[in-house]
Amino acid sequence: MTDTSTSIRMSAGTRIYLYVSLSLVAALVLVPLVATALGGFKSLGELRVNPFGLPREWHWSNYLDILFGDRYWRQMVNSLFIAVMTVFLTVVASAMAAFTLAHVKFFGANQLLNYFLIGLMFPAATAILPLFIRIRDLGLLDTYWGVILPQVAFGLGMSILLFRNYFRNLPEELFQAAFVDGCGYIRFFWHISLPLSRPIIATVSIISFVNSWNSYIVPLIMLNSETKYPWPLGIMVYRGEFGTQWQLVLAFITLTILPTIIVFFLAQKHIIAGLTAGAVKG
Amino acid sequence: MASVELNDIRKNYGTLEVIHGVSLTIEDGEFIALVGPSGCGKSTLLRMIAGLEEITDGEVMIAGKVVNPLTPRERNIAMVFQSYALYPHMTVAENMGFNLKLSGIAKPEIERRVSEAARMLALTDLLDRKPSQLSGGQRQRVAMGRAIVRDPAVFLFDEPLSNLDAKLRVQMRTEIKSLHQKVGTTSIYVTHDQIEAMTLADRIVVLNQGNIEQVGTPLELYRQPANLFVAGFIGSPAMNILDGIVDADNGQPAVRLGDGSAIRIAPQRKVRPGQPVKIGLRPEHFAPTGAGSIVSGRTLLVEPTGAQTHVLFEFAGSHVTAVVDGDHPARHGAHFEAVADGEKVYVFDGSTGVAL
Ligand SMILES: Nc1ncnc2c1ncn2[C@@H]1O[C@H](COP(=O)(O)OP(=O)(O)OP(=O)(O)O)[C@@H](O)[C@H]1O
Ligand SMILES: [Mg+2]
Repeated sequence: MTDTSTSIRMSAGTRIYLYVSLSLVAALVLVPLVATALGGFKSLGELRVNPFGLPREWHWSNYLDILFGDRYWRQMVNSLFIAVMTVFLTVVASAMAAFTLAHVKFFGANQLLNYFLIGLMFPAATAILPLFIRIRDLGLLDTYWGVILPQVAFGLGMSILLFRNYFRNLPEELFQAAFVDGCGYIRFFWHISLPLSRPIIATVSIISFVNSWNSYIVPLIMLNSETKYPWPLGIMVYRGEFGTQWQLVLAFITLTILPTIIVFFLAQKHIIAGLTAGAVKG
Repeated sequence: MASVELNDIRKNYGTLEVIHGVSLTIEDGEFIALVGPSGCGKSTLLRMIAGLEEITDGEVMIAGKVVNPLTPRERNIAMVFQSYALYPHMTVAENMGFNLKLSGIAKPEIERRVSEAARMLALTDLLDRKPSQLSGGQRQRVAMGRAIVRDPAVFLFDEPLSNLDAKLRVQMRTEIKSLHQKVGTTSIYVTHDQIEAMTLADRIVVLNQGNIEQVGTPLELYRQPANLFVAGFIGSPAMNILDGIVDADNGQPAVRLGDGSAIRIAPQRKVRPGQPVKIGLRPEHFAPTGAGSIVSGRTLLVEPTGAQTHVLFEFAGSHVTAVVDGDHPARHGAHFEAVADGEKVYVFDGSTGVAL
C-alpha cells in the first residue's frame, strides 16, 4: 500500500509539471511554518525588518522561557487529557454501538442508525446554546468533562459509520464459525471483531484525537478558569498578554504545534494505513 | 457421536418457502452427503441443523433430543466452512483451541488435544503460524482440526473443498474419508460435486428445489435412480435421455423412438404398450458388441481422456454420449455404432419422470 512506484513512464514535461506543482503546494504549507519557527528565535526588532530570513542572532531564551514556565506544560497536559479521554470514550462507545448496529437485527435498528447519522450534519457550534444550558444543568461547567462529553457526542456519528462499515465487511462465515465455537455477541466482539479492527480503531482514534486537539469553540464556552484551558485557548490568552511581543507568540505557537508534528512523523505509516483501510483491501 | 433426525423441516424466507418438508434419519457414525444443483437449499438445510438458521417448522433431533431452540454450541456440532473462516489474528494452535478455551478447559488439556489433532492432520509443524501463512490445503486442514479437537456429536461440512484446485481436492477428499474412518463421527457433507459425494458418503441425499428426490447408497442411486432428476444428476458424463413410446420388437418389450428405431428394455419394467416414456442410457453402458439394441449414428465429437474416450454422436434426432475404450477408432464425422443392453436401459414415465 505504501509502495507507490509505478512502471508507467512519465515524459519530461509531466515530470517538471509534477515537481513544480508539488513544490508549490509544499511551500504553501512550509513557508509559514518555517517562518513561525524561525521568528521565535528573533528579536522583535529583527522580526519587523526581516520576517522570513534566518535570524542574525539566535535568541534561545524565547523558547527556553516558555519551556521552563508552567503555562505551556499545563496547556499541553490539559489538551492531552481532554483528547485522550475523548478518543477513549469515542472508540469504546462507537465500537459497541456500531457492532450492535452491524450484527444484531432488532426493530428500529435502521432508524437508530439514521438518528446517529443526523448528528453528522450539525457542527457543535450550531448547538452551542442548548449544549451550554445542558452542561450547566449537569453541573459540569468549567470541568474537563464538560468539554469531553460534548466532543464525544459530536464525534459519535462519524465513528459509528466508520466502525459499522468495517464490522459489516468482516466475513459472515467468520461470525458463524465463532458462533459455532461458542461465542455469543459479546465474546465475538471482544475475541474476534476488536482484534481484527486495529486499522479502523486507529482511524477513528486519529480523527477524534485531531478534532479534540484542535477544538476551540467547545472549551471556549465550557471552561472559565485559565488553568483548565487547552492550548488553542491558551494561545489566545498568551497573545492577549504578549500581543506586542510577536517573537514570543511565534515561539509559543511553534511549541504548541510541535507535539502534533512529532506524533505525525512517528505514526505516519499507521495514520496513512488507517485512513485508507477499507478503501483498498490490502 | 450421535444420530440426527429431521422431521418435516421447513424454511421460509418471508413468504418464500425454500425447504418443503424434509424428513431424514441419519444413523450414528454415518457419513451423509447432501447433493443437488445450486440454490436447491443444501446450505440452508445444513445451517438449520447447525443452529445458524432459524427453523420455520419441523424438528431437528440430535441424539434423540429436539435441538430446535439450542445454539450451535449446545447442539455440540462442529462445522467446516467453504471459506474455512479461520480467525486471521490467531495462530493455528489458537484457532484450534479457541472453542476449548471458551469452554474454560485447562491450558494443558487444550494443548494436549490440539497437539493430538495436529498430529492426526499433519499440522504439528505449523501450529505457530497465522492462517495467512498457510496454503489452501493447510488452511482446510486447520479448519478440520478446529472441528475435531472438541469431539463434537456431528460434523457439518459446507462445500469444504470447493476453493481448492482439482488435485488438492482429490487429496483432501481422501483425507476427509480417512479422518472419518478414524474418528467415526456422524458427518453431513454438502457438495454439488457428485463424484465427491459418491466417493465419500455412506448414503447420499439428493435435493432438488427444497425437496428430497432420493436417499440411498451411492451405488443404489447410480443403479436404481428413483426418477429422471436423480438419473441425470448422478453419473458422469450424464445419462442420455431419449423420448419414446412403449412398443414391442419381435415380441420383446421395447421403446420406439422418434426416428422409428427400437430399443429393447428389460421385460420386468412395469410399462404398457403405447405409453409415452423417456429412456435413459448411461454413456458407460454402451458396449462395442454383444446382445441388445444397436445404437448408431454420425460421430460429432471425440474427447479422449486417456483410458477412455467420450464419443458424442447423433442418434434418433438427439445427441448421445458414449464412453468407449481409449483404443476405440472413433473419428469425427465417421459412423459410430454400439450396443445397448436392454437390462441396463432405464425407463421413466414420460410425464412424471418416475422410474418404471
Ligand atoms: N436470506 C435469504 N433470503 C431469501 N432467500 C434466500 C436467503 N438465503 C437463501 N435463500 C434462497 O434459498 C434457496 C436455497 O439457498 P442455499 O444457499 O441453501 O442453496 P445451496 O443449495 O446451498 O446452493 P449453492 O450450491 O449455490 O451453495 C436459494 O434459492 C436462495 O435464493
Ligand atoms: Mg451453499
